[in-house]
Amino acid sequence: MTSWITTVDHKRIGVLYGVTAFGFLLVGGLEALVIRLQLAGPGQRLVGAETYNALFTMHGTTMVFLAVMPLNAAFFNYMIPLLIGARDVAFPRLNALSFWIFLFGGLFLNASVLVGSPPDVGWFGYANLTSKQFSPGHGVDFWILSLLILGVSSMIAAVNFIVTILNMRAPGMTLMRMPVFAWMTLVVQFLIVLAFPPITVGLVFLMFDRFFGTRFYDVAAGADLHLWQHLFWIFGHPEVYILILPAFGIVSEVLPTFARKPLFGAPVVIYSGVLIGFFGFGVWSHHMFAAGMGPVADAAFSIATMLIAIPTGVKIFNWLATLWGGSIRLTTAMRFAVGLVGLFTIGGLSGIMHASPPVDLQQTDSYFVVAHFHYVLIGGSLFGLFAGAYYWWPKITGRLLDERLGRLTFWVLCIGFNVAFFPQHYLGAIGMPRRIYTYSPDAGWSFWNAVSTAGAFGIALGVLLFMIGAWRSLRTGARAPADPWDGRTLEWRTSSPPPPHDFDAIPPVYGRDTFWREKYGGSGRGGEGSGLRNDTRPGTLAAPTAPLAEHVHMPGGSYWPVLTALAMITTAVGALTGLAVVIAGALATVACAFGFALEHHRNPAHEHQTGDLGVDHRKVAMWVFLGSECFFFGTLVATYLAYKGRSVTGPEPHQILNIPLTTLSTFDLLMSSLLMVLALAAVQRGDRWQARLWLFGTAFFGLVFLGFQVYEFAHFVQEGLTLEGNLFGSTFFVLTGLHGGHVTLGVIWLLALAILDLRGRLGARDAIKVEIAGLYWHFVDVVWIVIFTLVYLVP
Amino acid sequence: MSEQTPDMGPDTGPHAAHASTGTYLKVAAILTVVTALEFGSIYIRALTPILVPLLLVLSAGKFALVVLFFMHLRYDSRALAVLFAGPLLLATGIAIALMTLTGAFLVFGR
Repeated sequence: MTSWITTVDHKRIGVLYGVTAFGFLLVGGLEALVIRLQLAGPGQRLVGAETYNALFTMHGTTMVFLAVMPLNAAFFNYMIPLLIGARDVAFPRLNALSFWIFLFGGLFLNASVLVGSPPDVGWFGYANLTSKQFSPGHGVDFWILSLLILGVSSMIAAVNFIVTILNMRAPGMTLMRMPVFAWMTLVVQFLIVLAFPPITVGLVFLMFDRFFGTRFYDVAAGADLHLWQHLFWIFGHPEVYILILPAFGIVSEVLPTFARKPLFGAPVVIYSGVLIGFFGFGVWSHHMFAAGMGPVADAAFSIATMLIAIPTGVKIFNWLATLWGGSIRLTTAMRFAVGLVGLFTIGGLSGIMHASPPVDLQQTDSYFVVAHFHYVLIGGSLFGLFAGAYYWWPKITGRLLDERLGRLTFWVLCIGFNVAFFPQHYLGAIGMPRRIYTYSPDAGWSFWNAVSTAGAFGIALGVLLFMIGAWRSLRTGARAPADPWDGRTLEWRTSSPPPPHDFDAIPPVYGRDTFWREKYGGSGRGGEGSGLRNDTRPGTLAAPTAPLAEHVHMPGGSYWPVLTALAMITTAVGALTGLAVVIAGALATVACAFGFALEHHRNPAHEHQTGDLGVDHRKVAMWVFLGSECFFFGTLVATYLAYKGRSVTGPEPHQILNIPLTTLSTFDLLMSSLLMVLALAAVQRGDRWQARLWLFGTAFFGLVFLGFQVYEFAHFVQEGLTLEGNLFGSTFFVLTGLHGGHVTLGVIWLLALAILDLRGRLGARDAIKVEIAGLYWHFVDVVWIVIFTLVYLVP
Repeated sequence: MSEQTPDMGPDTGPHAAHASTGTYLKVAAILTVVTALEFGSIYIRALTPILVPLLLVLSAGKFALVVLFFMHLRYDSRALAVLFAGPLLLATGIAIALMTLTGAFLVFGR
């Protein structure tokens, strides 16, 4: 048990993600069954309206954030290092931290049910339904805090996988030689890094509205409720691709393996995935056609939405072309992969219908939309995940699954799914709205609702069969060889399950499908035989010249990830219970962060982390994080400007802002950046005295800046500008306050480095640590350059 | 001004040949002058018609100086520039779209 709690092995963390997410999938599935039972006939009284609202809210939130996303993460964790020929991820302890934050965040959300206060505002939480006035209980607070916590987990994991994929590929594995699943994982991580900040800002606004009385979503104060919809869908639409692209990646691995052909047009499939990710940021407002944005905006988002269908369609044709002429083996994994191609196409086609605003206006909030997105998320994402589960199960567990039971599972799931959701297209078309807990017998919806409910139980039976198959495999399944499917990619080159260090020797890569070429030569087509390979020797096909496994350094376990996650969740619990708990949790989080950071401060094994880009992992991670911060502060600044001049009461910015004073504080912060680069230069050349001087100097200038800010805030409050007074106060204090929070973190970081230096623990070889702290500090500086201009100077 | 020594820590990688101390001081001086210009420009009535674009250009210049020199992006791997500039441009585009859609610019109107 202890080894699992402290594990930093990507494979074990992958298993933890998988098991936990599957547990949440069952919880979300049970909620769905209750929903379907309630709607099975007209006038049902199984649950009341409030419970029904809570059920669909928890079902949606659970399935998106606690089931499908982390099930994808399970495959990222287990498979990515194996697919790219790495021994682990770039930051194994951060990987563990991501998991524990996810687990506690999921439990925190579900604790709302146990305390009798579940959220009941839908997974989209539209303002102002989420305001204190309309949702006075703690349900929305649970929802806000848990999504913020889960966002932290996703962000940490995303940065980790971007660095891993960019910087830790095996020799010879250029980006275009990477398996498509690795590519789709990379695209998804960028989507997470860039799409989560807008929703984080939206949630922070909502949290401040509910906890501190700000006016971000208060129409009476001049606010625009569309702001929430925009922030939510700027995240929400890329989120669809965050959920589906990993499944596309899995299918792109499964189809070539079982068609015994290379993926048709693999580079085009990769470019299509990248284009889908990019276009995904330009289509969010098609979720808002009914909100009345005007004809120009409607037309722009309609065109962008239709455009995104092109790369998606390209993928489908490429998969079909891969199957064409192939020597096809209809294993269970292959059935699910082919199932995805068919079912996702149905969901994709109904999605293109929504690209047309007039059609969308008819379908919005009807069961047609419910049918559409379940075809995408079950027919697409979940079928892809099942394909991955059946495909990689032997690699992960070292056991084979029963193929006969697998085929039965596929058909039960496939038929159950279509029976459950295809009728919902019709129900929506004849006018059944979403989110109603009951309906009249006269509505004409009874029969197809009964059919849909029967189908839902078919899905449940399919999942049960999968669980039975998995249980039997683990107990009595036949031992899996290293390469049971005659695979094409590197994971099949090592034993099943792989050793802790993944590969005895890092395999060189000479092209796409390098393992296949290694086995069969350069044609890419397979040799004879189409069944399972019978070679059951562990470690089969690993390089015979491998060095001894005990010579490979692997990171040891650590308690800091789980402790840090516990401290963070304590802070969230405190937000609902009392200030003392918040303070205790925050202090514990800071203490754990220090423990985490210093655990391997001088461990020689952690010194050299330069990878394929020729840059240290930590530096790449910091730049990726700063890219994410561009979205965070961009959203904050955009909101400030969008709300500028909308306050219905004073004071106004020109009445209160002290520009001469702020010019001084700006100068102070700019000069702190100069001291920071001098500190880095001093550390790099080993000049300890100057390093100490400039590090303390930078922190001191940071403290002076914070002093200016405290003075300014206090003065403004005296002048009548408060957080809750008007829209200007809300946007100004939250924007500049969050920037001040960043400065505070930077000061703590710099002081920690300066203290390390005082104790003689910061030499030239630690320069990278000062450099990444410096990058963060300079970024805080450039953000202030933007704020100073747009908030203070621009009239 | 003393040039920065090439004796750097082993973790700084092959792209770590950063600017000299003299360059840093020059950049700091330019940042100071530009900040003073920004401050002064808001009090010059003649600049009113071009004040907003002028301030945006000066701000962008300061932003670029810090990123290129203090954050060493001018000297580092191009991959890092892509990792930062891509999200920065995308975030700028989305922020402009968000402001437009919420009526801040009244370009499209309602």
